[in-house]
Amino acid sequence: MSDPALLATIALVAPAAAALLLALVPPLRHRGAPAAFVCIAGTLVSFGAAIGLLVGRAPGAEEVRVVVPWLQAGGRTIAEVGVLVDGISSVMLAVVTLVALCVQVFSVGYMHDETRRGYGRYFAYHALFLFSMNLLVVAPNLLQFFAGWELVGLASYLLIGFYFAKPSAARAAVKAFWMTKLADMGFLVALLVLFVTTGSFEWTAVPTTAVATAVTLLLFLGVMGKSAQFPLHVWLPDAMEGPTPVSALLHAATMVAAGVFLVVRAHPLFELAPTTGDVMLWVGAVTAAFAACLALVQTDIKKVLAYSTCSQLGYMVAALGAGSAFAGFFHLGTHAFFKALLFLAAGSVIHAVHSNDLADMGGLRRKIPLTAATFGIGALSLAGVPGLAGFFSKDLVLTQVEGRAGWIPWALLMASAFLTAFYMGRVFIKAFLGAPSAKAEHAHEPGLAMTGPLVLLAVPSVIAGLFGGTLAHFVGAEYHTHFGLTPILASAMALGGLAMAGLVFGRGREVALMRTLRSLDSGSVVDRSWEFLYRRVMLGVSGVLGWFDRYVIDGLMNLTGYATLESGSAVRTLQTGRVRDYALAVVVGAILLSLFGVLR
Amino acid sequence: MTLANCILLASLLFSIGVYGLLTRRQAVAMLLCVELMLNAANIVFVSFAHFRGGPGQIFAIFALAITVAEVAVGLALVLLLYRKHGDTAIDLASETKG
Amino acid sequence: MTHLLSIIVAAPAIAAAILLLLPNSARTGVRVVSLLGALISLAGSIAVAWTYDRAAGGLQRVEDYPLVPPLGIHLRLAVDGWGVPLLLLTGIIIVTGVLASWSVAKRDKDYFVLLLVLVAGVFGVFVSQDLFVFFLFYEIAVLPMYLLIGIWGASHEVPAAGPFRFVWKRFAVGGKEYAAMKLTLMLLVGSAAILVAMFLLWKEAGATTFDLGVLEATKFSRTTQMIAFPLVWLGFGSLAGVFPFHTWSPDGHASAPTAVSMLHAGVLMKLGAFGVMRIGMVLLPDAAVAWAPVVGTVAVINILYGALCAASQKDLKYIVAYSSVSHMGVVMLGAATLTTTGWNGAVYQMFAHGIMTGLFFALVGIVYERAHTRTIAKMGGFAHTMPVVAAFFTLACLSSLGLPGTAGFIAEFLVFLGSAQGAHAWWAVPGVIGAFVTAVYVLRACKTIFWGPPPKEEFAHLADVQRTEWGAPLVLGTALILFGVWPRFLLDFIDLTSTAFLGRIPTIS
Repeated sequence: MSDPALLATIALVAPAAAALLLALVPPLRHRGAPAAFVCIAGTLVSFGAAIGLLVGRAPGAEEVRVVVPWLQAGGRTIAEVGVLVDGISSVMLAVVTLVALCVQVFSVGYMHDETRRGYGRYFAYHALFLFSMNLLVVAPNLLQFFAGWELVGLASYLLIGFYFAKPSAARAAVKAFWMTKLADMGFLVALLVLFVTTGSFEWTAVPTTAVATAVTLLLFLGVMGKSAQFPLHVWLPDAMEGPTPVSALLHAATMVAAGVFLVVRAHPLFELAPTTGDVMLWVGAVTAAFAACLALVQTDIKKVLAYSTCSQLGYMVAALGAGSAFAGFFHLGTHAFFKALLFLAAGSVIHAVHSNDLADMGGLRRKIPLTAATFGIGALSLAGVPGLAGFFSKDLVLTQVEGRAGWIPWALLMASAFLTAFYMGRVFIKAFLGAPSAKAEHAHEPGLAMTGPLVLLAVPSVIAGLFGGTLAHFVGAEYHTHFGLTPILASAMALGGLAMAGLVFGRGREVALMRTLRSLDSGSVVDRSWEFLYRRVMLGVSGVLGWFDRYVIDGLMNLTGYATLESGSAVRTLQTGRVRDYALAVVVGAILLSLFGVLR
Repeated sequence: MTLANCILLASLLFSIGVYGLLTRRQAVAMLLCVELMLNAANIVFVSFAHFRGGPGQIFAIFALAITVAEVAVGLALVLLLYRKHGDTAIDLASETKG
Repeated sequence: MTHLLSIIVAAPAIAAAILLLLPNSARTGVRVVSLLGALISLAGSIAVAWTYDRAAGGLQRVEDYPLVPPLGIHLRLAVDGWGVPLLLLTGIIIVTGVLASWSVAKRDKDYFVLLLVLVAGVFGVFVSQDLFVFFLFYEIAVLPMYLLIGIWGASHEVPAAGPFRFVWKRFAVGGKEYAAMKLTLMLLVGSAAILVAMFLLWKEAGATTFDLGVLEATKFSRTTQMIAFPLVWLGFGSLAGVFPFHTWSPDGHASAPTAVSMLHAGVLMKLGAFGVMRIGMVLLPDAAVAWAPVVGTVAVINILYGALCAASQKDLKYIVAYSSVSHMGVVMLGAATLTTTGWNGAVYQMFAHGIMTGLFFALVGIVYERAHTRTIAKMGGFAHTMPVVAAFFTLACLSSLGLPGTAGFIAEFLVFLGSAQGAHAWWAVPGVIGAFVTAVYVLRACKTIFWGPPPKEEFAHLADVQRTEWGAPLVLGTALILFGVWPRFLLDFIDLTSTAFLGRIPTIS
């Protein structure tokens, strides 16, 4: 086994070993603290291996692929498992493990008040989560990717439902699983189609254009579920029921990122299907604008961030739809850092005021200055203020969609950029500026376990954008910064949005638009439609079928038994029990037999 | 005395037995009628053996032996019937009706 | 160990005979002897798997004893690549089933005797290479179920309704005697059909032998095949829960005691599917091709219909029973694809579903024993008091919905892939939808039972898994994950035989 493959395997096995250890050794889990240690140790090893991969890899080097046969039919191997190391997977591995590491360290402080068993369980899930994500990142073919993809869904389900005693958390967890599973049907069918037409699950499979279009559309259905694209995004805001660090992990580098990563990975396939690209462009742009509007009116700090994730994923999908895998990947990377930062900072805020509600915050910049500063950096980066990480990647996305589909997606994304700055400004003003609320009075800065990751993540949130060229060189893509309409306009949107937020919310006012949006949000048409489909349509059909089976199909079986018994009853009156009747029957029978004998 | 006469006698005896079996209500009388029918058969056996030869007489002896056993069982049943109902009317034994 | 297969089949039967000699009061003795009998069979099965020569393939460990020479009936035992995983499955389920029955109180000796006789029949079917003996063992496996459900079962109420509500005045629908009777009668009607087909084949093959090898070599006329196949399909299919002859399953499984449900859903239903594939498709290849569209379409109905019916159930055991109907549809779908991938998937699904449903019923038994209710709406928050049960139940749910990393995924994926490769690619789509519906109902059940605020007073002191109850969850849970992560443990065997048998199926041009 060559060196990179070994490192990738270590990165894969370390969290798996941690998860297995925590699952199989209950005392470790039940004590709490040792579980955190085991989990973080696994992640650290994984992170170390990922860094080793990144450092040891020359830009543009050959990909390393080590696989073992996994499934066979007719004596032939039909699927393999193993590791694939190339530019994309090594970069992604490093991002994922870094964010996971920060989140886990942060969790040590954040989950401190949890019961010991709960604490242990939490870290066991985290280890499983990281393993699943790594499994997907290094997947040498679509099938292993699918396995990791589904396991990521499982880990999210477990973590979203971590506070399982809360009915809302239980509902949110199940909803997340159902929505993604619904979309995954597309993925699964895509796998089948791909295999039947090309005979493999390889990334490099080359089908005809028609097949490629079908496969990519089906794959994109899976992406829409996982990456929360309109109208399958409804699980994402609800997923905020999980602990805040989980949201950070889910929204930054793992669960939702998996969808975008799939498209980046399967880019050769998507390139063959321009139709899919157009669909993605539109879906992405609409999601970006729609989610940005909803983010504007949330009162829960986590829900603002959740919708903003939705919106940013829309950017990535639009970029991928425009045919630029690199733009999507770049934005995925920068977004992972600043969104993890924002969520962790939000977690720190929630930890301080014991509430998610923006109304309970305010004036926190004096109480928890470090959190305020790091949240500010994240917010500015997300808003796309020139010079910060978010600016570069968002600018690249906008540049890529320039002129596509009659400039409409571009316009939508540009408007979303303005809205993004506007709502992030709103959150920052409401939470950190102004007069402190009652709950915010006793807020204090958390310990090093929580502030450390914040500072660590703040660094790439600022500078990651400068490495776009390096990254492009590393993964073998092209990247030029240029100066034109889009960057200027994007900068103007970001700064304008922030300025307007300052003007409006700094004085405690609101815009009329928000009232309209709020009514739209409380109605949540999309959510209700899904609810209707589930309760009325699916459960309705199932109720009818259940009744039909019980009383008609089984009724027919019962009827057979009933008919047998009844006909028996009818015939049994022939048995009078009187000997003379039987004697008569014998005689009549004898006479008939004799007659038969004679007449024959 | 010809074979035909003997068979005629047997037939008459058999018919009387059948008639009695169907019309009598007392179990003992019915048993007697069954005996008549059996003996009609015996006469046929013996007659054929006498006029035509063959092992018919052996069967008659067999039939007699069986009749004895049958009567023993039959009378036991009649006795039980009487003990249970105080009468030997055969229609009382209708526990097997469906 | 040249007589290993005989030992596997005989061990439970001998254990049953020893039980008969023990006094009724020897409660521990009864259990230990039963467990030993089961363990010997399991150890034998593992040894068979271990020593099976994968390079050679084919029938191995052949044993032949003439039984009724004039009719050409031989007790001929041998194992092939399909037999290995099914022997393992049966061994695992009977050992865990005995452990799960540890607390049976009523007439426990009789209970274990019947359980062991039943499982001896199951082992016999999987290694028989003689059609008559195959059928004999099949009946031995099916009949004890009547007593096991009728005596040790639980009754429940089914309200009178529907167009046929007048039948309620004839029998107590939902009673354990009713369930036992329905199950036995439906399966016996199936057996009658099999018997007819069996003699049809025997006669056409020269009326001298029931040897499966000789019957395979015989080229049956198309008419015979076309008549015999549906008889075999519906005959064995009634045990495999083929729509619309599946309705014994919900009542039967709901009424049966824990270990009997485990064995019945876990192993016995597989006998049906195994019979359809081994006797129906392998012996009657032309008819298999001709009837495949029907078999596959009915299987697809099974999958979707079973899943949707399960989604509407309120009783936990009914949910699991209907899910069995749905999952057995996956097996039949795999069989109907007539591709190696599909057949591998079908046999894998037999194994995976057996383990998974065994785990389900074991856990349901534990919950029922403590809570005395199976109505899921009455439960809630059980994860607070029985976290281990909750964890393993979740695992069973995940395998049920086909999550990668569990055995259920390998099986379902292979079957869907086989369908997509086969002549009727569209079958895969309802299959995939069925897997989604499964996700809906299993996770909803899981949520309702285990999640939510701590349980109300009446359920506040339910104990978690204790002593022998650990057996089933641990063994079955480990198997689910082990065979989900590394499918080649079984696939290496299965594929050999699927490939060999599929060579007999004429290609569809």
